[in-house]
Amino acid sequence: MPLAGDDLISVAVADPQTAQALAAVLRDSGEWLEAVAGIDSVVVRFDLASVARAVAETRLKHATASVAVRPVRTGVVVKIPVVYGGEFGPDLERVCEKLGLTLREFVALHTGEYTVEMIGFTPGFAYVGGLDDRLIIDRRPEPRQRLPAGSIGIAAGRTGIYAMPGPGGWPIIGRTSRRLFDAGCKEPFLLSAGATVIFTASDTL
Amino acid sequence: MTIIVLKPGLQTTIQGRPRTGQRHLGVPTCGAADPLSMALANRLVGNSSLATALETTLTGVALAFECDTFVAITGANADCKLNGDPVTQHTTIVVRRDDQLTVGSAQNGVRSYVAFAGGLDADEVLGSTSTYLPAEFGGHNGRSLETGDELRLRNAAAVAPVEETPVEFRALMLDAWSLRAGHSCETKCVMNPDCLFEHKFKVTNRSDRMGIKLDGETIRTDSDGQMPSAAVFPGTIQCPQDGSLFVLSVDAGTTGGYPRVAKIARMDLHALGQLRPGNTLTLIERSDADAARELQDKHAYWQAWLPDISQVI
Repeated sequence: MPLAGDDLISVAVADPQTAQALAAVLRDSGEWLEAVAGIDSVVVRFDLASVARAVAETRLKHATASVAVRPVRTGVVVKIPVVYGGEFGPDLERVCEKLGLTLREFVALHTGEYTVEMIGFTPGFAYVGGLDDRLIIDRRPEPRQRLPAGSIGIAAGRTGIYAMPGPGGWPIIGRTSRRLFDAGCKEPFLLSAGATVIFTASDTL
Repeated sequence: MTIIVLKPGLQTTIQGRPRTGQRHLGVPTCGAADPLSMALANRLVGNSSLATALETTLTGVALAFECDTFVAITGANADCKLNGDPVTQHTTIVVRRDDQLTVGSAQNGVRSYVAFAGGLDADEVLGSTSTYLPAEFGGHNGRSLETGDELRLRNAAAVAPVEETPVEFRALMLDAWSLRAGHSCETKCVMNPDCLFEHKFKVTNRSDRMGIKLDGETIRTDSDGQMPSAAVFPGTIQCPQDGSLFVLSVDAGTTGGYPRVAKIARMDLHALGQLRPGNTLTLIERSDADAARELQDKHAYWQAWLPDISQVI
């Protein structure tokens, strides 16, 4: 099985839904220190001090073979007002130029309803799938060291919502004032995999 | 049971146990960047290895005590003083009410650890007292310490025997580091693998608790740099399109889209907290089988001084 590190194993899966389902099953089994879904993979971390790699691989193979994809839509709908471009979306002008779109065309294509495919990267960072084919753009060649909370980026056919300040490599097209992570809350994460988000254009934060 | 921060230093944070098992929610590992040094400090004041302590960054810290207690300082080498008189690291220090303790600037390494008998009382968020600065939670109001901050001890001073870390267990602070590492998912995409292992890289200024950017040989990958986002862990080494290497550390994000060209072996992750800009880092290649065996060896060695070492490294 693909080696992700001395105590890490990666499994390739077909799609984000399967990745989420498999990772959830693996976490529920209690056999792994971590089981983290990506877009088309799951990586597990096992306790290298007490579990042999061969044993971990066998367990993972069994789990992978038996996992059933569960529907991931949670029924939660969250509106995300976005101020597109300007100081809040410093990359939007360059993105539009690269994509051959006007700012207005970009906003028209980007606003609308999407599904959160996964949470990851930093607490509450949401990977939102289903971006229009005309909005596909690469990551920045080098990540920025610090982005403000609420930054909205796009890369490789997805929108990313930065729930808190931190580094990030996605071109930034706008910002939202919606609070996506609150450590003091019982449910600290506003978004979860399967939630519906609706991007709307806003003039002010 | 109060300690006042007189000088906070560049970035002094409260750190405790890692936040394990929450990376699927985007919650990073957190905790001491050099958990081995923190464990050594805790050991000298009778605490378990992951008890809540202070982590300094490069410039040390100065504290005033309003209570009697025991403390210990480990990690980055620094001149330390109690009421102006030199005190040594790696030994239990008896502190009285109105004493002032100073940890000087790091001479080698980056982070010194100050542990207190019974541990610090701190904000517990998502299962740990560790400060996570980007999201401003844990520790002391989620931030690094400031002048005048009041820290609280969890317990009144227990009687800790005065001890010294045996010389063979004093983690060395180096200028040239060799850390064991193995392959990761995209190692096969590297077109010049000879330049990855057994090659000196330079630690750059872009180094913090998130990760360490290395300069040196440009690593070429046959990837266009646009990988579907996938899980990454402390020790994962990413290679952005510019061909530099970025080693993820304890506060790193949980997923990433740059090729993962190697991973530092679990047993050597603790050293990432001490890599200083200007130091060199050489990745020593290890198969996963060797990494497993050498982890057992390392645990067996450290067990004699730190019984709970397997929770530390």
